[in-house]
Amino acid sequence: MALTDRTIIARSLRSRLFSTSTTVLTVAVAVGLMLVLITMRQAGRQAFERGSGDMHLLVTAESSPLVSVLNGIFYANPPRRPLDWGKVQLLSRSFPWAYAIPTQQGDSFNGLPIMATTTDFFEKFKPNQDEPWEFAQGKAFDGNFQVVVGSAAAASSGLKLGDKLFITHGINQSRQLGGQNGEQTGENASEAGHDDHAGHDHDHDHGHDHAASEPDPSVKRDTFAGADVHTDFTYTVVGILKPTGGSHDRAIFTTLESTWILHANDRRKREDPHIATTTPEDLIDADRKVTGLYLRVATREGSDASAVLPQIFYRLRADPTIMVAQPGREIEGLFKIIGNIDQLFVAMAAVVMLSSGIAIMLALYNSMDQRRRQIAVLRVLGASRARVFRLVIVESVIIGSLGAIVGIVLAVVGGIAAAGVLRAELGLKIDADLHLIPTLGVAGAAIVLAGVAGLIPALVAYRTAVSKNLRPIG
Amino acid sequence: MAPALRISDLSFRYAPSGPQVVDVGLLEVAPGEQTLLTASSGAGKSTLLQLIAGLLDPQQGTVEIDGQAIHALRGHARDLFRGRSTGFIFQTFNLLHGFSALENVMAALMFSSIPRAEHRRRAADLLQHLGVERVDSPADELSVGQQQRVAVARAVVCGPKLVLADEPTASLDPENSSIAIDLIQSACREAGAALLCVSHDPGMASKFARRVTLEELRRA
Repeated sequence: MALTDRTIIARSLRSRLFSTSTTVLTVAVAVGLMLVLITMRQAGRQAFERGSGDMHLLVTAESSPLVSVLNGIFYANPPRRPLDWGKVQLLSRSFPWAYAIPTQQGDSFNGLPIMATTTDFFEKFKPNQDEPWEFAQGKAFDGNFQVVVGSAAAASSGLKLGDKLFITHGINQSRQLGGQNGEQTGENASEAGHDDHAGHDHDHDHGHDHAASEPDPSVKRDTFAGADVHTDFTYTVVGILKPTGGSHDRAIFTTLESTWILHANDRRKREDPHIATTTPEDLIDADRKVTGLYLRVATREGSDASAVLPQIFYRLRADPTIMVAQPGREIEGLFKIIGNIDQLFVAMAAVVMLSSGIAIMLALYNSMDQRRRQIAVLRVLGASRARVFRLVIVESVIIGSLGAIVGIVLAVVGGIAAAGVLRAELGLKIDADLHLIPTLGVAGAAIVLAGVAGLIPALVAYRTAVSKNLRPIG
Repeated sequence: MAPALRISDLSFRYAPSGPQVVDVGLLEVAPGEQTLLTASSGAGKSTLLQLIAGLLDPQQGTVEIDGQAIHALRGHARDLFRGRSTGFIFQTFNLLHGFSALENVMAALMFSSIPRAEHRRRAADLLQHLGVERVDSPADELSVGQQQRVAVARAVVCGPKLVLADEPTASLDPENSSIAIDLIQSACREAGAALLCVSHDPGMASKFARRVTLEELRRA
């Protein structure tokens, strides 16, 4: 095979293997970082959008719609104020809902939030549009003191079908991101404290114990010393859900009535420490506390839109005793708030990319000292100035292209890793697949940048004085 | 038939107010002729070679290679003409670092009109003919003698009209000098190229039928 410009460029790159590799790696890191940021930005948004599923409205007694959504759907904090039970019943009957599902939050197990709700939550509410719940094992609860465990919650807590557990009052602030198989010893328990929630008043003297004081190996409990465990009622795992990619994956679900009974029992023990137990018949309206109401307006088959939704929204908004939120709109608003930070990250990645361009320029420029003689020889043999200029530009573009390719590989690997971490830690299902247009855009930008970075070294090559660099002649 | 090289009324200064470095009245080298050009050190021999190669532009005069005035050509055309009509042999060989012996010879063919498919065979045959044994070895790893053969092969592989040799034996002992110049002369002869060898080595004189000094070439 004849010697070609390609051979000359390949030899040049190979003769400076370390410099070439580090420069390629610099470009790759920049491209990878940029792609991961762009992908994660998009995927993160999608993951947030997934959490609200197919609900149209969320009614709470929180202070703002955004807080309602963050607490009521994403389990950011236990809701602070409960809705009045009478109001919940009234709301549920007032409009042509496809569903009106009451929820109650505030308790936890090993830092994982407990969501008390009704069977409608599994039968009617869809965690993703057109994707109903699916069970990996077991089934939905059909009686009190049964729990269904979200996929991420099952993975992090180690809960299995048939396991027995006690739940904990409140959520330890330091543990809200999920328990680790219940293995923690809770050395810092006294610092952690509980997050008081809207669910119920609480009595620490009756019906509770602290995890470290009475270990019971047959029933799983919050191992965090200082955790305020409800030991009067034992829950049983009856179902484990498949992943949905949303926030509910890291929650544990039980019946509303179980939670009401649990807290009614506290109330009754306060009134009479000698009571044997509490049954649904002992419940009074004050025990029936609800922190959220998931609402969906009836729509045509296959449609998510409803003409009456805006009307209903404005009517509900006029009620000062409740807070009504449109989850989609709130998430949109949230992304507008964090959009600037997001852009800052992308700008930082762009700066890293620019630095990689400078790295290419420096690497090639520094190599010019060693290559002047080679350029001079090629010129004597018949290479034009334009040709040696082109050789350097192409070399620079090759470095950029190699960097872009390695960067895309890094982004794929990094995306998968980041998606894994987000899924394990936050229960967010991230689509880490690179999208064609941004990938081509970033790779193209890296290549163009490399071409521009090669201009100065190429000019040096163009202007190389043959006479000075072939010493015997000069 | 046009002479392989014709220089007439050539003068050159590096700066307009600087000293005249080259001043040649007339020099003709016939096709296939081998000429030794001698001069004292610093007399402008190397500058003259750059002028002949079209790497410098004279203030006055013409250089014709095979009847073509090289300075009448511009840019790419001049570079291409140089590559195809002229071969170069340097004192330090100036082989391409990191390239094999074969690739060094093929580098000259890159700019020739010879079809690409023939490059490898042509270069390999010539190297073999000149006694280069390890054609695929990096040129830097060959002995000095072998490197010189590679340099000679590179100078004649395109079938040039003229080969310019700049102090080709300056770094060699007398015995190897003689071998080297014999090699260059025979290679040029076989390639049908004229040879203009610039040297201040007194031992070279006996090898050339025609000898000129820069002083003799000066315009009156």
